[in-house]
Amino acid sequence: MNQKLAGVPLEKHEDYSELVQRDRVHGAIYSSQAVFEAELTNIFHRAWLCVGHEAEIPNPGDFRVTHMGKQSVIMVRGHDNVVRVVMNRCRHRAVTVTETDTGNQKRFSCPYHGWTYDNTGALLSVPDQGGYGSEFRLEDNGLTPAPRTDFYRGFVFASLAASGPTLLEHLGLAASYIDLFLDVSPTGEIDVRAGVNKTFFKANWKFVGMDGYHPNYVHKTVYDTRRRKAPAGVTDSAKGETFSDEAGNFARDLGNGHAMLDVYPVRSRDYDQYLKRMAKTPDWNEYYKSMVAAYGQERADEILVWAGDPHIGIFPNLQLIGSQIRLIRPTAADRTEVLMFLTTLKNVPDSINEMRIRNHESFYGPASQGSPDDVEIFERTQIGLSADINPWVLLARGLEREVVAEDGSICGGITDETTQRGQLKQWKKMMGEAK
Amino acid sequence: MSIATLEEIQSFLFKEADAADESRFDDWFALWASDGDILYWVPAGSDNVDPKKQISIVYDDRSGIDDRVFRFKSKAAHALRPPPRMRRILGNVVIESESDTSVKVRANMILAEVRRGTQDVLNGRVIYDLVRENGELRMVGKKVLLINNNEYIDNLSFLM
Repeated sequence: MNQKLAGVPLEKHEDYSELVQRDRVHGAIYSSQAVFEAELTNIFHRAWLCVGHEAEIPNPGDFRVTHMGKQSVIMVRGHDNVVRVVMNRCRHRAVTVTETDTGNQKRFSCPYHGWTYDNTGALLSVPDQGGYGSEFRLEDNGLTPAPRTDFYRGFVFASLAASGPTLLEHLGLAASYIDLFLDVSPTGEIDVRAGVNKTFFKANWKFVGMDGYHPNYVHKTVYDTRRRKAPAGVTDSAKGETFSDEAGNFARDLGNGHAMLDVYPVRSRDYDQYLKRMAKTPDWNEYYKSMVAAYGQERADEILVWAGDPHIGIFPNLQLIGSQIRLIRPTAADRTEVLMFLTTLKNVPDSINEMRIRNHESFYGPASQGSPDDVEIFERTQIGLSADINPWVLLARGLEREVVAEDGSICGGITDETTQRGQLKQWKKMMGEAK
Repeated sequence: MSIATLEEIQSFLFKEADAADESRFDDWFALWASDGDILYWVPAGSDNVDPKKQISIVYDDRSGIDDRVFRFKSKAAHALRPPPRMRRILGNVVIESESDTSVKVRANMILAEVRRGTQDVLNGRVIYDLVRENGELRMVGKKVLLINNNEYIDNLSFLM
């Protein structure tokens, strides 16, 4: 039934939503530059995007330049302590108003003709302003703000669409997992100044993350390495037993394109073993006590079973995995930039944060044990997609065994493609409904 | 007092470079001191980071290097299958400081890596801490300061 799309030039398909079927997707959603351009319009220049976290820019004047889809924007904390997202474009002739990616500035001056803005985006001065006539008003010509900006526990989200679902409506079930990520600090606060892995790969952005079927194959070397050290007390979940059907873990579609790999079942079985191992690490007991004091025994244990790691993808560009905030930016159908910000915890012993740093480095980043093999597989997928006589990519795994859970999420086994189907359901909705 | 002449130091560095370029991982590991703390370090973001408070691209102690060599030798390390072909040039070799037991050396590096049809060129400064062990020079520290460590970076699945 799906053969009608095979071999037909993609440009003939006005309705991209046909490319996502119940059990399979057309490879063009990953390889077509036309689809990519439509994604920019219909998804990245419209949806709530995570721009960053307020803790990256704690002081007035702190800023980071980033992109929303194609558009260069500045996330900046103003002298009034308000975080804003403004276009990195002089209102006069469109020159970028800062040349560095991060920094602290009271003013943003355009190097072309000297128009100068403050760190709230307000236009302060225009050389020889009289030349614009008496109608010209500075207050009408500040840096253009993102049409909508909103916050969830310090995460900065912005949308280039003036209307649409609220941020809380968009986050839906995902919000409580952002809480989990932050509440692994006894005061629920993180720092985001411990550095960032800036990486790119030559493949489509939709390959990133949320596949519970791949770890034992793609990351075999990681688990082999850990098993070598098993006598030193590595838990079953750390050795990779997590990602098999027997483990009893879940792949979940949380709605609105959000998806997670829920490894709570195996981690709760492992928890006593985990606590015993962690108790031998520096300052753990002090940290554990502070968590119990802050949240009570039950919630503290719940957070620590997860180790504050929800392994969640928040559509379309944010993932919270391990200790990192991961932001995904497509630059072409076959090129993607990924930022991995390591988060540290406020109000914990330094050694706890140092352990987060070392754990992150071992799996993530361009020379780690984990990320390079993911990138390799994404790039080989992109090459494979060029063989499109039969263009379909199968995402049928678990269709017949997934169930609707109490919270309304769709729940499959950890190795099931429930996560990808959830993400692409939202993709299909946004690509189909916008023009 | 010096533990080695510049000439001997350079031939050691060239031997280390060849082992890395030729993916002779055990030979490379054997050029590290067999005892005590060692550190293979590639900072991320800038050349001057506090590794206790900032992530690095590589921050391997002995156990970390051992894991890296184990992984690189595995047939399941997809990012190294097929393995990269590499050659590097070391130049501007300068002794920065020395004592009765150790010497700190810096060099500039240009490293070309070819894999799956793409050639990447990496540039940076390498700082070596060397000691003498059983008569032979050995590394206790190797720090690689890539000039693009604050830029978007491709896979670095090889010895830098």
